[in-house]
Amino acid sequence: MIRPRILLVDDEDRFRKTLKKRISSRDYEVFDAANGIQALEMIRDDPMDVVVLDVRMPGLSGLETLTEIKNISPETEVIMLTGHASVDPAIEGMKLGAFDYLMKPCDLEDLMVKIQNAFEAKSSKKG
Amino acid sequence: MKRKIKGPSVYSTKLRWHIIISYCLAAIISIGLIYGTIYFQYKSSISEQATARLVSVVMEHKGTIENFLFELANTMRMVTLLEDFDNLKNQHILEQVYSTLEREYDVSFEDLGVLNLEGDHLAYVGPFDLMDRNYSQAGWFQDVLEKDLVISNVFLGFRQLPHFIIAVKQTSGNESWILRATVNAEKFASLVEHVRFGKTGFAYIVSRDGYYQTRSRDGHMVMDQVMPGHLDLEVFEGVRFWETDQDQRSFFRAKTWIKDNEWLLVVEQDVDDIYGELYHLRQNAVIFFGLGGSLLLILCLLSMKFLLRRVKLIDAEKELLDEQLIQSHKLASIGQLSAGIAHEINNPLAIIGEEAGWMQDILKRENMQGIPEHDELTDSLREISVQAGRCRKITHKLLSFSRKMDATLRKVDLNQLIDEVAALREKEATLYSIKFIRDYDETLPMILTDSSQVRQVLFNLINNAIDAIDKNGEIHLSTRKNKDSSVAITIRDTGTGIHQENLTRIFDPFFTTKEPGKGTGLGLSICHGIIEKLGGTIFVASKVGEGTTFTIRLPLEIGSD
Repeated sequence: MIRPRILLVDDEDRFRKTLKKRISSRDYEVFDAANGIQALEMIRDDPMDVVVLDVRMPGLSGLETLTEIKNISPETEVIMLTGHASVDPAIEGMKLGAFDYLMKPCDLEDLMVKIQNAFEAKSSKKG
Repeated sequence: MKRKIKGPSVYSTKLRWHIIISYCLAAIISIGLIYGTIYFQYKSSISEQATARLVSVVMEHKGTIENFLFELANTMRMVTLLEDFDNLKNQHILEQVYSTLEREYDVSFEDLGVLNLEGDHLAYVGPFDLMDRNYSQAGWFQDVLEKDLVISNVFLGFRQLPHFIIAVKQTSGNESWILRATVNAEKFASLVEHVRFGKTGFAYIVSRDGYYQTRSRDGHMVMDQVMPGHLDLEVFEGVRFWETDQDQRSFFRAKTWIKDNEWLLVVEQDVDDIYGELYHLRQNAVIFFGLGGSLLLILCLLSMKFLLRRVKLIDAEKELLDEQLIQSHKLASIGQLSAGIAHEINNPLAIIGEEAGWMQDILKRENMQGIPEHDELTDSLREISVQAGRCRKITHKLLSFSRKMDATLRKVDLNQLIDEVAALREKEATLYSIKFIRDYDETLPMILTDSSQVRQVLFNLINNAIDAIDKNGEIHLSTRKNKDSSVAITIRDTGTGIHQENLTRIFDPFFTTKEPGKGTGLGLSICHGIIEKLGGTIFVASKVGEGTTFTIRLPLEIGSD
């Protein structure tokens, strides 16, 4: 079975690294990027199944990155991580084609459920 | 928080007096104006009536007196024409004539005499002994020689009693003679005085040389001289009317000349008598004025009390609003501050959570099972995760609490808005067999509101509904246009329902039925606050075991409701 390819995009290094280790240990192939531009380069080189994308990032914002990801690789599903309590950025993200969203900080189990759902959705689309 | 209405302030005392004084002034001035106008119009109408009456009395009386004198003179002339001189100077025949006159004509002659041109009596009938008197020096006698007919002024004469003379000169053949009669002044006076009107109306006669011919009202007797300045004896035509003060009395007077401008007929009436009714009215008016004024004052004070209470209430409300405004500003600042802190804390918190999670992951590995204190470490790390989770919930709530107070308004399609929010949870909900059932009013108009805030509320309510169902159930989302200018959104779940005793407290801040640490109790109170701020209302109905329905009513435009 192909391991789902997950890309974590977050400017907070320690968070990103630890999360990467944790998800990797759950039998996923995990990549990470510190910002939007880096993430887009990686996706261009090698498409991902699911991107977990922080909304609040310096430089290219989460929503801008999302738009670009959908341009480059429409099948890639994106889960937004928002720091806002407001649902507005989440709705904005959903409108732009995000699969789901989570409030940051989030519970890993919630995140894993959403990643799995997203992966299955992507697979069924493709299939 | 209950608020006490403050006692009267300097400002309300001042206001009270301002209003009392202006009320009373307005009322007094208008009542005074009405009263004054009526009073003076009434007075002038009474005065006109009195004048007219006085003038008509004078004219009527003039006619009566002149008729009386004319009749006497006529009778005299008739006698001189009907009876021969020879007969008249016969004492016996003159007596017969006198008694006939007395009986048939009812004239008030006191006596009757026939004189020759030398002033000697040829015959005399009467109660006085005047037969031998010579009248050649009497004024009236000299007048009658010239004028043929004389009615004299009142005088005392030989008899020393007030009387006046009517004398007629007649010529038959070569002989001229004079028929003279006396009218008793008392009798004449009673004729003049007889015409009375009102309580004080009185008439009297003054001769042109200033002697009372009849009694005056102020006690002057016949033949008394008129006090200088009391009466103007200038001759004029017609009737003169005037108001005068004399001996501390005010009266209306009318006068006219009678008997060929020899006698002045005066009619007078007291002003008090004329205006008696008016004065009575004035007295009543003063009483009514007083009563009305008191009533007015009482009404004024009562309405003042009412008004001031309203003003105080409004003041208190204003104060409350001010305080609320300050409070909301404070909250907004606190909100901004806490949002900043929450954002800053979120990242380290995420890292703490992840690190603890990672360590837990490691400890779960097989090769780690045997290490000392393995269970203690696992327990400790789980606790770190749990507490980080609590912190996470707190920062989320802080962030939602801090949401900006100022609304950004735009036209919103509520059906679409609900769909957007529902989409956030629908995929996940489907996994737990929770079905979203939509029943939208397709004709629902766009409403002007803050979409972001409404979304937040809908998101909270949908989350609550999902939590209430847990697994297997339905969430009904519906919209309706109300008859008034508002729309209604209903979110109904088939969840566990809420106990009746909790239902009334559900919108209270910090009220929660969730387990400690799971809910902050801020969600519904924030929803309630948002909807109220948007000019709407939020209701809840629930039955344990059947589910809960939240109904939100929003105006078509904020401020239109």
